Amino acid sequence: MASTKTKERPKPFLFPQFCKACGRCISACPKDCIEMGTEIHPATGFTPVVLDLEVCNGCGLCLSACPEPYGLMPAPADVDLELLEPETLLGERGSTAPTPEPIPDVRVPLPELETMILKGTHASAVGAILAGCRHFFGYPITPSTEGAELLAKLLPQLDGVFVQAVSEVATVNMIYGCGGAGLRCMTFTSSPGFSLMLEGISYMIGSEVPGVFFDVMRGGPGLGNIGPEQGDIKLACRGLGHGNTHAVVLAPSTPQEMLDLTMNAFDLAFKYRNPVILVSDGYLGQMTGRVQLPSYMIKPGLPEWAVHGDEAHRGNLICSIFLSEADLEQHNIHLLEKYDQIIHDEQRADLFHCEDAEWVIVASNTPARMAKGAVQQLRDRGVKVGLFRPITLWPFPIDALTRPLQRASGLIVVEAGAGQLEDELRLAASHAGIQDIPPIHRVSHYGGVLPQQQEIVDTVTALAGGIV
Amino acid sequence: MSSVFFERFERHAHGEGLKGHSTHYCPGCGHGLIHKYLAEAIAELGVQDRTVAISPVGCSVFLYYYLDVGNTQAAHGRAPAVAIGHKVANPNAIVVAYQGDGDLASIGLAEIMQACQIGLPMTFIFINNAVYGMTGGQMAPTTLAGMKTTTTPTGRTRLTGEPLKMAEIIGAMDGPVYVERCALFDNKQRVRAQKAIKKALRLQVEDKGLSFVEILSECPTHWKLTPAEAEKWVKEKMVPIFPLGVKKDLEAETERWFNLDPPQFDSARVLDVIGAVSRAPARFGEAFPSHIDAKDVAIKFAGAGGDGAQTIAMLTTRTAINEGFDSTHIPSYGPESRGGTSYADVHIATGEVLSPASPQPHILVAFNPPSLEKFGPHVQPGGIIIYDSSVVPTPPELDPNVQMVGVPCAQIAKQLGKVMVKNVVALGAMQAATNLFPRESFLATIRDALQKQSALLALNEEAFACGGTAYEEATNGTGA
Repeated sequence: MASTKTKERPKPFLFPQFCKACGRCISACPKDCIEMGTEIHPATGFTPVVLDLEVCNGCGLCLSACPEPYGLMPAPADVDLELLEPETLLGERGSTAPTPEPIPDVRVPLPELETMILKGTHASAVGAILAGCRHFFGYPITPSTEGAELLAKLLPQLDGVFVQAVSEVATVNMIYGCGGAGLRCMTFTSSPGFSLMLEGISYMIGSEVPGVFFDVMRGGPGLGNIGPEQGDIKLACRGLGHGNTHAVVLAPSTPQEMLDLTMNAFDLAFKYRNPVILVSDGYLGQMTGRVQLPSYMIKPGLPEWAVHGDEAHRGNLICSIFLSEADLEQHNIHLLEKYDQIIHDEQRADLFHCEDAEWVIVASNTPARMAKGAVQQLRDRGVKVGLFRPITLWPFPIDALTRPLQRASGLIVVEAGAGQLEDELRLAASHAGIQDIPPIHRVSHYGGVLPQQQEIVDTVTALAGGIV
Repeated sequence: MSSVFFERFERHAHGEGLKGHSTHYCPGCGHGLIHKYLAEAIAELGVQDRTVAISPVGCSVFLYYYLDVGNTQAAHGRAPAVAIGHKVANPNAIVVAYQGDGDLASIGLAEIMQACQIGLPMTFIFINNAVYGMTGGQMAPTTLAGMKTTTTPTGRTRLTGEPLKMAEIIGAMDGPVYVERCALFDNKQRVRAQKAIKKALRLQVEDKGLSFVEILSECPTHWKLTPAEAEKWVKEKMVPIFPLGVKKDLEAETERWFNLDPPQFDSARVLDVIGAVSRAPARFGEAFPSHIDAKDVAIKFAGAGGDGAQTIAMLTTRTAINEGFDSTHIPSYGPESRGGTSYADVHIATGEVLSPASPQPHILVAFNPPSLEKFGPHVQPGGIIIYDSSVVPTPPELDPNVQMVGVPCAQIAKQLGKVMVKNVVALGAMQAATNLFPRESFLATIRDALQKQSALLALNEEAFACGGTAYEEATNGTGA
């Protein structure tokens, strides 16, 4: 500012191809130096303004009235304006921002610790802390809230941040911002809240922003009830908002897995730059059990792609817009390749007595525990039955099921839902080219009711031709 | 020309041809001016590297084409939520959310209200041009009465609402430190807008608080006016409805307040906070209670909400895990957390608890008649039921192979001075009746649970002991 007093203020200069002829500068000029042109510019079709700077005193008001960044600008000194080209004045590069390097995560070893006794949602919250999550965003909803409440208590003690958002819609967008800044963050929610987050999850997938969503599923549709259900499997596996979306879907079945899989979820989210969904039923969320802490915790680094608000990451953009169809198709192909890699590398299942099973029960979350009890009970009676428990619901661990399928006379899908797990099984088998699936039987309940061990035993006994 | 603009707009259709240096805005649009003032302010305050600009949905969706800062493009209306995410992720970031009237004042009302209520130091630039630009000239929440848009073809009527005055609404909130409405229709207004934007940014740089600047902006295309007519229209039509000026300014009396320490990752601190310990709990039992079941003992505690069934269920699970076994506890509440039915299923297993539900328990502890009637008939033969005889005068007839013992839990607890401990009386009775685990083992768990309420310890220990004695009395010391 001081320099303007000592030397002459620059007069305006215009590349006519960057003038849209709006004329806002004309009324801004107190000396009437500018008038609307009459010649149509061949490149733009506009009639750029014409400057007659005889009486111009360099007041700069026209510069502040021009809406174009490279419209009216202060004339550069010591150059021949007649010969000036945009390339020489404005430069070739888009940005001078540096190229950021990733800062890797650090695995910090932990001493041997006593078994903890934790409620399912609390185990997940502890897992999040050990995974390096210090930021939580959420909206209270039964039966997920205890996880949020524990983090509301613990995170501030670690100088973390807990934000109770105005809604689940706001929640997912806070995660979009914080995850986009490169940090590990999460939410707990339950079915109606999860529905509300789906639009934002689609944006996160499109923009490749990691984040962890824990859906403690409850009875639906609508407000339903707060009983345990598995009615969101289709949303998590097939319905993550609009567009070609997928995310790893993890289904714990014990408090121990609530912790372990929550830790895994953060690693997977950042490995693939994609949200990860954890689903449990309300029963598991409320269940207290023993939990062994891992031998390490994570001190997170900072990925190179983050929009962190610092010099290194200034050149980054978090965005799901690809205006040209060709660009968006390429982006979709990139996402599809990522999903293929996930399908190839991340299938996880737990097999219990499947090696010689004539009857294979397929179940996840709490119903898998009921089923495991049933398998034990039936094995004691000599019935050759096994349990196939998908830990990843998407990708469905079809590879591990291929062998048991060859031997089995029948499958029994046990779920607290109307065939949503079964559909994942059928689709995965179909995509894997498995032609001969043995008949699929069902033990299903809905509306907050869980399948119980005895009815699973009864169903398998009847199928196996025995006496109930 | 500010250096905060990209030297070439590569993100604009790959920056080819004119698009490398021209905006996508229509001639005379106010957005370009506001972009320029924002870029200048960022440059003058020296915060280009720290700035994160949030692009909305609307005509300014492509803000990230132009500003050479960290950029995040947000879903429609959600810029304030995204901004909060960025600000708490890095409190040193200078977060600018740039939103139009549909984005901020319609679909995103909840988000802007919450962001302004919290008042984290952030900068909100609100462009009000009384119309939806990007989607082609539909009614905005700020559309003037009588104004024609494609969705108010005969003019906005009373039925479609009055224009929303956001600056006044935000100015009336406690969160923001500075709120002003500006315009762009002449040199004087433009200078004010430039100053307002810079101030709004500076207050964030100084960690003083949230600023909100509404700018009345021209949309010649959808108003079907020339740029010069559009400037006049703002002055003559919009300003009377949306008065210009400062709506709130607490800069003078506001100190720098926003400060977040960086999150902690020290492992000792983390373990302390989550309550992990390396000391082993005391163990008293010799073996699994196989006199009840060889592998898996199922228990149900049932009563009304507030009876304390969950607490003793949890104490039982803790005791079992401390003894080295697997155990689970699942609560099931009625719709209300107090006064409804409340029952808990507990399993204790030698190896792993499989099904955690207890539809046919070995042991039932019932605190009221409905619980006893509902769950009593499902107790396994050879099992045992402890019920509170102070509220169940005549127990129902049940399987003779199930032992039923009435213990006046509530009455005993009342005599001890606190009816609340009736559950611990029941726990003592259950221990005596089943010898699930030794007495000392339960007492150790009770002591552990009451670490921070040591005043209650003696009472609870006494209640536990009285429960055991009452069981012996009820069975005349025969144990059956």
